[in-house]
Amino acid sequence: MSISEDITVRLPWDGQPYSIKRFGVAITNCDSEPVQTPGCIEGHGALLVLDPIDLTMLQVSDNTEALLGIAPATLLGQPVDRVLGADATDRLRTCLAHMSIECNPLYVLTHPGQDGTLPLDVTVHAIDDVIIVEFETTARTAAQEPDYYALIKQSVSRLQQVSTLQALGDVATQEIRALTGLDRVMVYQFHDDGHGEVVAESCRPDLPPWLGLHYPAHDIPEPAREIFRRVWIRSLRHVGAPLAELVPLAHPHTGQALNMTHCALRGASVMYTEYLHNIHVTSTLTLSIRRGEKLWGLISCHHYEGAVTLPYGMRAACELLAQIVSLQHESAENREHLQYRLQLEETHQQLIAQAFRGEGLSGMMVGPSTLLDAVDSTGVALFYQDRWWCIGATPSLAQLEALSVWLSTRADFGSTTRPIFVTDALSSLYPAGEHFADVASGVLALALARTGTNRILWFRSEILHKINWAGSPHDKPITLGPHGPRLTPRRSFELFVESVRHRATPWSAIESDTVLRFRTLLIEFIASRAEHLGALNNELTRSNEELDSFAFIASHDLKEPLRGIHKYAHQLAADAGGKDPQRPDRLQSLMRLTLRMDSLLDSLLHFSRVGRIELQYERVDLNDVIADALEMVDARRAANNAIVLMPQRLPDVVCDRVRVREVFVNLLSNALKYNKQAGVRIEVGYLDEDNITPQMALPPEAVGHPVFYVKDDGIGIAPEHIDQVFKMFKRLHGRDDYGGGSGAGLTIVKKLVERHGGTVWLTSVLGQGSTFYFSLPARETP
Amino acid sequence: MHHAFELPTVVLVEDSDEDADTAETAFIGSGVAASLRRVTSGDACIALLKTPGQLMPALVVMDLNTPGMDGRKALSFIKSDFLLKAIPVVILSTSASPQDRDFCYAAGANAYHVKPIRYPDHLQVVESLLKYWLVEVALPAVGGA
Repeated sequence: MSISEDITVRLPWDGQPYSIKRFGVAITNCDSEPVQTPGCIEGHGALLVLDPIDLTMLQVSDNTEALLGIAPATLLGQPVDRVLGADATDRLRTCLAHMSIECNPLYVLTHPGQDGTLPLDVTVHAIDDVIIVEFETTARTAAQEPDYYALIKQSVSRLQQVSTLQALGDVATQEIRALTGLDRVMVYQFHDDGHGEVVAESCRPDLPPWLGLHYPAHDIPEPAREIFRRVWIRSLRHVGAPLAELVPLAHPHTGQALNMTHCALRGASVMYTEYLHNIHVTSTLTLSIRRGEKLWGLISCHHYEGAVTLPYGMRAACELLAQIVSLQHESAENREHLQYRLQLEETHQQLIAQAFRGEGLSGMMVGPSTLLDAVDSTGVALFYQDRWWCIGATPSLAQLEALSVWLSTRADFGSTTRPIFVTDALSSLYPAGEHFADVASGVLALALARTGTNRILWFRSEILHKINWAGSPHDKPITLGPHGPRLTPRRSFELFVESVRHRATPWSAIESDTVLRFRTLLIEFIASRAEHLGALNNELTRSNEELDSFAFIASHDLKEPLRGIHKYAHQLAADAGGKDPQRPDRLQSLMRLTLRMDSLLDSLLHFSRVGRIELQYERVDLNDVIADALEMVDARRAANNAIVLMPQRLPDVVCDRVRVREVFVNLLSNALKYNKQAGVRIEVGYLDEDNITPQMALPPEAVGHPVFYVKDDGIGIAPEHIDQVFKMFKRLHGRDDYGGGSGAGLTIVKKLVERHGGTVWLTSVLGQGSTFYFSLPARETP
Repeated sequence: MHHAFELPTVVLVEDSDEDADTAETAFIGSGVAASLRRVTSGDACIALLKTPGQLMPALVVMDLNTPGMDGRKALSFIKSDFLLKAIPVVILSTSASPQDRDFCYAAGANAYHVKPIRYPDHLQVVESLLKYWLVEVALPAVGGA
C-alpha cells in the first residue's frame, strides 16, 4: 500500500489548509486525500472548537446560525457559554474535569431547541490541545429512545454462542441490521495482500447479495484504514448532503488543520462519497473489526434510500457490538482452526488407512478421501514409485518434472526439520511457473524423505480463476462517475486483476503444520512398508534357499536310490541265469533310465546354482572366451566336421568370463548337435548399429547394447516351437535324437544372460538354420 | 595295545546299505590287505576312533550326508583333533557341488571323490582309491594306541 510520503507531485492545496469544498474535485489519488483533516463537517450538525483553558471558541462550523441560532462571526473568540448557557457550560466543565475524553467523544447533554432550532445532542472530546463540541440531531425524547441496553444484551448473548467465524459474521450482520434497519450489512475481511472480501452478509431480500465478492485493496485506501484502527464507528447520514466548512479553516493560533478523526460529523472523503454515489448508496455505517492492533476487517452497512440518522445512543450500541465481535473473533477463529485441523487430521488418518489397505501411497489417490482432501487444494501430484500420480488440476508431467527439479535445489525443501515449500505466488520465485499459473499459483510441497524424489505437491489455482468479481464488466454496465472513470466498477476490476494476478489464496500456518504432521504419518507408513518388504525379501531369500536345498535333495538324495537301482539292474543284467529272453534289454533300459534321471538331476542342480551365484565381473576378451568354448565342444566339432567362422574380432566386454563361456558352449554345442549337414558351418559374431537389420528382430531392451550371435545351418525351429526352446527340460526332439541332452542348456543360457542384464532371442527358419542372439549391456570396469 | 601284525583298518562311514555293499565289493575286488569296518554315521565314526585301546585306522572313507553328525562335521572333528588329524580322510559323496568339495578340502580332507551313478564306475572309483591309499601311499605311523 503506497502512502502519501511517496507522492512527490505538489498537491493543489499545498501550503494552505485543506477543505473538501474547495479542493475535493482536484483529488485523483485515494491515498493522497487528507481524510482526517477534511476542513468540513456534515451539514446536518454543528461543531465548535474550544480553547481548553478558557473554553473560548477558536473555530466554528459555518452553519451555526441555522442550527444554533447564532452566526459564526458572533461566536468566534467568545466563551462557549454564549452557545450553551451557564448551566450547560458548568456540566461541560465537570465533564472535562472528570471524564476521559481524549480521543473519546462522550455525550454531555441535549441542547434544547430554541426559536426555530431543534434540540441537539452534544458530544465532546479532546484532541491535539483543543476541545471539540459536536451538535447532532437527537432522538432523546423519552418515547422515542429505545432501550439499547436490552437490545444489545440479547445480541451479545447470541454472539457469544457462535463457534465459527462464519457464524460470528452471520450473527453480527443480522444483529446490526435488526438494530439499525439498514438495507445491507456486510462483514468485509481484509486479506493479507490487502484486498477485501465480503464474508458475511445480511441484506434486504430484494437486493442482489454481495456475499463472496472480492474488492481490490484500493477500494479502501490506507488513510481510511488508518482511521478505522483508531475509531470503532463511523456513520455517514446522507451521502452527498451539503457540508459545512470550518471558520476559520485552520486553528487561529497554530495554523493547524483540525484533526477530525474522532468527529462523528467529520466530512466524508470525496473519493468515498463518489464511490458510494456510483453504487447508489445513500447512507452508511462502518464499524471496525480488530484483532489486537490489527484491522482485520470492517462491518460495512449500506442504505439505498435517503438519509439515516443514527443517534448517539444507537451508535454507542453499535460500537459496543463491534468491540464484542472483535473480542469474540479470536476465540471463534481458534475454535474454527481447531475444527479445521481436526477435520484435516481425520482425513489424514483415513488416507493412511487407505494406503495400508491398498497398494501403498497410491491407495490415497482413489477412494472416499483422496490426497486432494489432505489440505484445501485444487490439484495434487504425488511422485512415488518412479511416477507421478495426479488428481484435480495440475501442471503437465513435463512441467511437474521441471518444477520438482527446481524444488530439489531449494534449501527450505531440503531442510531436515521442515522439509516443506509453501508459496501463494509461485511464478514470483520460479519464473517458469507463469506458464501454469492458472492451475498452480499456490504450491505446498512436501518431501517424503530427505533423500530421493518422493514428494507430494498440492496446488491452488490462481485467485483470478476462482473468485467472484465485484465490479466485473460481466456483471454490470460500465458507468462513469461524476468525475470521470475513477472509482467506477471497471476501474476497480482492473486494479484488482492486477493485484491478484498469478496469486493463490495463501496457505495457512495450520495447513502447513498439519501437513507436516501428515508427513510423519506417511514416513511411518513408508517405513512399515519397507519393513514389510524387508520381511518379504527375507522370506523370498528363505524360499530361494529352500529351493536350493530342494534342488540339492533332488540331486543328492534322489541320486542315492537311483544309484542303487542302477547297481541292481547291472548285477541282474550280468547274471545270465534268467529265463526271459527280453530280460537283458529291459535291464539295459532300466539302467539307461537311471542315467537319464541322473543327468536331469545334474541340470536341475546346475540351474538352481546359476540363478544365485555371484557374478564375477571383469574385462574379458571375448575372442579368448570363444577359443576356450570351442575347445570344450571340440569332440563334437570334430565328429560333425564343423567349420566355425568369425567374421570379425569380438570386442572386450565386462562380464563373468566363466558364465559367458558357458553361454557360448551351450549355444555352440546346440548348433553342432541339431544339424544334419555333412559339413556344419557355424558363425559367431557381434552386431553393432551398422549391421542390425529388421530381420534380426532386435527386442527393444537390447537396443543400444552390444549383441552377440551364434548362427548355424542346422535343422531350424518351427515358428510354433520358438517360444518353447527356453523352457526348462523342454525338448523339441526325442530324448535320444541329436545326441540326447537334458533340455536345460538354453534355459541356463537365458538365465545367465539375464543375470548379466541382457536378453536372449532367436530367429530361425525350419530346415535352414537358427541364429541365437544375446545382448550384454555395457558395464563399468569393476 | 599294539599289534604290529594286525591288518590295517579302513573305516567306512556310509549310511546307505547299497553303497556300503558296493564299497565292500570293491574292497574285496581290490585285494588290499586290510580289514574294513563300516559305521553308519559320523557320531559312530568319532565314537569308534575315540574308543580307548582301539587301533587307529589307516584310512577313513566318509560319505557326507549321514544321519546325526554328518560327514562334514565328523571330518572337521577328526582334522581338528590332535591325535586323529593325521589319519587320511577320503570323502566319497554323491554331491558334485563345488561348495561341498571346497569345504571338505578346506576342512582337511585328503581327497574328494564323487560317487558315479554307473555301478561299474562306482566300483572302479572305490577300488582305485583303496589301492592308492593302502598300497601306493606311505602312510603315517598312526597305528599307536
